[in-house]
Parts: sequence; structure tokens; C-alpha cells
Amino acid sequence: MALPLKYNFRNVFVRWRATVATILGVALVVAVFVLVQSLAAGLEKASRNTGDARNVMIVRKGATAESSSQVTREQFKTIKYLPQIARDAKDQPLVSADVVILISLPRHRATNGEANVLVRGITPVGMQLRPQVALVDGRWFAPGKREAVVSSRIGERFANCQIGETFKTGGHEFTVVGLMEGGGSAFDSEIWVDADEARSVFDRENYSSVLVRAASPAGAQELISRIESDKRFPLRAVMEVKYYSEQTRTAVPIKVLGNLLGTAMSIGAIFAAMNTMYASVGARTREIGTLRVLGYRRRTVLAGFVLEGAMLAGIGGLIGCLFALPMHGYSTGMMSFDTWGEVAFQFRITPWLAVKGVVFSLVIGAVGSFLPAIRASRLPVIAALKAV
Amino acid sequence: MTIGSFILKNALRNKRRATLSVLSVAVSLFLLVALQVTLREITLPPEDIGAALRVAVRNKISLANPLPARQLPIIERVPGVETVSPFTWFGGKYKNEENMTFAQFAMDAKKLRRIFGEAKMSEAEYRDFEETKDSCIIGKLTAQKYQLKVGDRISLESTIYPCSLAFKIAGIYSGTIDDRNMLFHQEYLDEGCGTQGSVGMWWLKVKSIGDMPKVTETINRAFANSSAEVRAESERAFQLSFISMMGNVKVFVASICSVVVFTLVLVSASTMSMAVRERLRELAILKAVGFRRRELFALILAESFGLAMAGAVLGIGGAYLLFTYGSVPKMTNGVFVVFEVTPKIMAIAGLVASVLGVIASIAPSVSVARMSVVNGLRTLD
Repeated sequence: MALPLKYNFRNVFVRWRATVATILGVALVVAVFVLVQSLAAGLEKASRNTGDARNVMIVRKGATAESSSQVTREQFKTIKYLPQIARDAKDQPLVSADVVILISLPRHRATNGEANVLVRGITPVGMQLRPQVALVDGRWFAPGKREAVVSSRIGERFANCQIGETFKTGGHEFTVVGLMEGGGSAFDSEIWVDADEARSVFDRENYSSVLVRAASPAGAQELISRIESDKRFPLRAVMEVKYYSEQTRTAVPIKVLGNLLGTAMSIGAIFAAMNTMYASVGARTREIGTLRVLGYRRRTVLAGFVLEGAMLAGIGGLIGCLFALPMHGYSTGMMSFDTWGEVAFQFRITPWLAVKGVVFSLVIGAVGSFLPAIRASRLPVIAALKAV
Repeated sequence: MTIGSFILKNALRNKRRATLSVLSVAVSLFLLVALQVTLREITLPPEDIGAALRVAVRNKISLANPLPARQLPIIERVPGVETVSPFTWFGGKYKNEENMTFAQFAMDAKKLRRIFGEAKMSEAEYRDFEETKDSCIIGKLTAQKYQLKVGDRISLESTIYPCSLAFKIAGIYSGTIDDRNMLFHQEYLDEGCGTQGSVGMWWLKVKSIGDMPKVTETINRAFANSSAEVRAESERAFQLSFISMMGNVKVFVASICSVVVFTLVLVSASTMSMAVRERLRELAILKAVGFRRRELFALILAESFGLAMAGAVLGIGGAYLLFTYGSVPKMTNGVFVVFEVTPKIMAIAGLVASVLGVIASIAPSVSVARMSVVNGLRTLD
């Protein structure tokens, strides 16, 4: 017969001072774990959330970032008229050749130095191909002018990036005329300017990447194999959505860090839980003796105490998730190891992460209470009853 | 029985609890030291001896933009400049590895010794490198990692240029702060990848430290309003600009540090009060026998302080030994090359431990002070 859950649950609160400390300790461990993982989740969300399922992205083979990719003008001309590409109402192919440049800009607070930001020279078709991006303030840039539209998150993080202001790169000045939002996609970390203007200002003969809309899903696959198999093209074609979701190089080290920190801190928390549970077992020696006399078996007592420890830590886990929760949606930024530019993203505490955090705390509790539980179950009945 | 041995006996009476407390303090302090060192490494990267005389020149737009090779004679003529070399990031992937594990730069081989004098190689290796165009030199750590030796051939595929290059290893150097990089001839890159006319950066050496500010200023001014404006800065400033690119990492690590410290205080304080509560009865007896409050406080404080210090020795000492004598590049998968536990960091951790020892004794001291002898004697807990 199992011990009534109520017995263990109520016992969690009997020695409340030690219990509160242990619960809080576990809560902080879980909060750190969840927060670090939520950074990785935010980064992954931004890359997984980018692109249109109908688009195919073409970059140079071997290039790991769009900014170091090159598509020559001849290659672009050939690609442009491939039959698998969708056409608009005027029978023009939906193809956009963009130029992507990393520029160094001062951060919002001058003391924080500079960072690289991705500037995309984009054509009107290119904007049409990226329906995720919407203007939220001001207007789009006029062709042939040194005007820029900045994503609002980059605008918050860098100096001179609000409407009407002018930022300088190399010897050239761009006036910000609008703010855009990319709906949580990678485009939220970009500055957009006119493609031809970008090519002349940054002295680029070639394009960085080509984005096309395939006429049909089958067409997209045909297009990919057509480009990949053509010996003349040292190019890689891939679905746009896949291209972005492969950008995980930044999130992986963060995840590793989160796991390392979580593990190291949890060892400390396990010791704390052990201490609490040993004290609890010691104080209840007589009670345990009574339970055994009543007919509860050793393994029932064992299970009861492990459960008690898990419950204790589980409460801590829940509280830890609550601690972490206010950070959900908080914007931050760091250098991306995929684009080498600043990536703006948000902490994302997903339900799955919260579940992971609570499970983690349950494990801490169960491991921490295992040895004390064994001790409880092995107490000799008579001696236990005699104990004061 | 002396007071000292009384305290020791008390502390170790419940050996399991003493061990657990010491270990939890030790684990947390170990983590604290590791985080502090990480923070220091990323905000203040280690410096080479020759760094004070070196200047890095990059495109003002950003590091990712190339510079025209025609800038070389202009820079060479700047007063105070001793020697200049191109320095071009190749971004090559070795074998089938997913990510780059060591950096490769193309440069002017003949300038190597004068600009990066820290790199130690035999005279024969130096000469071989200077004379053979398709040769390269690699750092000792990279050579060990891939079991490469002088005379081997390696081939790398660039992620920046549409080409692959094959190299013959002419030498293996050591003695720099990061013996991992590979260096090869700019000329070889130009021919193999068609990059004639452009370089990644310029690195130069100035004649004396006093020349540094004037040289960087002159170079910056020389190319102002040209099609390729540059930013010339000392090696140190260049490194620090990398750190600012990392973004909010610093805040992030610092906040984790404070959470760790807080958790530590919480857990140890609770352990300490548990230890004291367990012997409220004994303390009541001591009180009845005539010990004063002050003396009881001292007993509790000494015990808690002692436990915290034992944890400190274990945690800080362990971190010091591991990071000083262990192989840091291997442990961190190449992210950190040096992981120096400085006296300052150890002192900070030690201070945290002693404050912890004091704080942990407060709550139990208060309850002992409040307790009446009669109640204390009655306690069964």
C-alpha cells in the first residue's frame, strides 16, 4: 500500500525554514537554466521563422554567410529566365538579386562600442518576395537615393537609426526614412537600402544572393536540382525556409553553456536537497517507526521520501519558471556566428522549456532525496520508536 | 577540551552534513571562479608581447570589406611605420569539418619575423617558408590536434573565396598567445583565388610606442574621402572592438554570477541554521552552565566560517589547479586558449566565502539569543 501523498506533501511544509531555502535554491537553478535555454530558443525561433515556403535561395557554394557569397551578373542572367520561376501579372519573373554587406555601426550608448549590422541592398521584387516584412513607420526608400529603412529592433540598439537621422558608413551617408518589422524573423536584424545604390556605394560588381519564387513546389525541386547539377554554376540552391533554419551556429554554444551551468548549479542544489531531506528524516525517526509498525513496507517508505524530495524541488522548479517568466519577450542582441552581424532576438520561454525546467527540478529532488530515503527505509523499527 | 577542538568536534559531528555543506559551497565557488575567469577573458583578451607596437588597419565600413592593395606604398611611407604586411582572412574549412577550428591568414611571409616576432621556429623553417610560395606555417596546437608535421600537405576550402588551396607545411611555430593559426603567402592566395588587387587588412609594426597615436591618425587621414576609408587602431583596440561586437554577453555572465552567489548564500545559511537547530538543546545546556551569548555566537560563527572556508579552499583551489594545469583548449573545445585564474578572482571568491560564513551564522545566532534555557532544554528536534 502506498503512503498517502498528503502525508509527504504536508511534511514538505513542516520545517518551513530549511524547506523554503531549499525550494528557493532549486528555483534559482531552474531559473538560470530556463533563461539561458530561452536565449537559444529565441535565436532558433528567429531563424526558423524566416522565409516563404515558395521561395528558393541561391548562394555561392561553400559560402557560410550571405555576406561572403557571390553570384555573378552572368549567373544571374541565366537564372533569371529559368522556366520554373513564377511570373507576376506583367509576365516578369519573380527574381531578386540582393547585395548583402556588413557595416560597422556605433551602438546606441557610445560606451558600448561598435558592432556589425547586415545591410541588404534589395529590389522591389525582393521586397515582394519577403511578405513577412512590413513598414511600421515612415516610408520605403526611393530608388537611386541614399535612403534606408531600418528594422525597429536594430533602430533601438544602434545610434542614428531613427527616422530622419543619418548614419555614416565608410565615406557614405544614409538617411533613415522608415522603420520596418519582420515579424520575429531574421529580417528583424537588417537594414534595407536600394540594391543599385548599395552596389555603387559599396563598390560591388556582383550580387550576394538571388531569391526566386518557384511556380510550384515541384518546380522548386526541379530548379534546385537544375542549378545544383549545372557545372557552370558554383552555386547552391536551397529552399529559403531551409536556408535560414540551418543557421544554428549561434544557438548551439548557448545551449551547451546552459546545460553546463544547469549541471554545475544542480550539483550544488542536490547537496542542499540532501541536507534538507536528511534533517527531515532525522527529525521524523519516530514517525517513520510508527509508519512501519502500522504496516507500511520499507519500499513504501523509500518511495514516499523520494516523492517528498521530488515534490519539494518540483515546487522550486515551478517557482523558478515563474522567476524566469518576466524575461519572456525581452529583446536582446548579440553577434551571430552565422551572419557575423548583430542579431536582434527575444528571450522565448516556451511551454516545452518550462516543462523541461520542472522535470529538471524533479530530478534534482529525487536524486537529492534518494540517499536520505534509503536511510529512512532502513531504520530498525524498535530503535526508531524509542528515539526521542 | 579546548574551545578550538570543541568547535571542530561540533562541526564534524554530523559528518555527512558537514561534507554536504562544504561540497555545495565548493561547487558554487568553483562555478563562480569559472564564470569570473570567462568574463575576464572575453572582456580583456590575453595579449602578446609584441602587441604594443602593432597596428591593425581595416576597412572603415566593416572588417568584412576588403581593402585595395594599392594602399601599401602609401602606408609604408607614413613616418614611424617600420614594416607593413597584408593580412587576409581565408576562412578555410579543413577536411570535412563542419566549422572552422583554426584561422588562416594570407600575409607577406618575409615580414612575418618583423611583425609577429613571438612566433618561434627554427631558422631552416623560417627560410623554407619565406622561399616556397605554396608553403604555410601552422601553430603547434593545430599541428598536435591534426597530427600534422613539417613536410605534410594540407588542402583547405575557403568559405570566403570560391576556391580551394593546397599547402605544404614549412614550419610549426610556438610561443604566441594562441598557437593555432595558419599563415601563408598572400601571393599564393592572389594567384589561386583571383584576389589580385585586394587584401583583407593591413598589419604593421611601428618603430616605437610613442609613434603609435601619430601613425594611426596619419593612416586614417590618408584615406579619408577615398573609395576605401580605413580604420587604423592598435592591436589592443582592435581586439576590444571584437568584444563590443559580442553584444550583451558581459551583462549576461555578470548576472549569472550574482545568481550563483545568491543561491550559495541561501543554501549555506539554511544548512548552518539546520546544524544549530539540531543542537539547540546542547546550546541551552551551555547557556545554563554559564556560557554567555557572546561566546555562543563566537562558537557558531567559528563553525560556519570554518565550513565556508573549507568549501572555499576546495572550490577555488580546485578551479585554480584545473585551469592552470589542465588543458584549457581541450576542455573548452578551443573557445578559450588561456583561462587564467588571477589572484584578484581568487580573492573575490574568497571574500564571497567569508561573507557567506558570517551571514550563515546570523540566523542561528539570533535564535540562540532569543531562546530561553528552559525552552531550549525541552526541544526535542
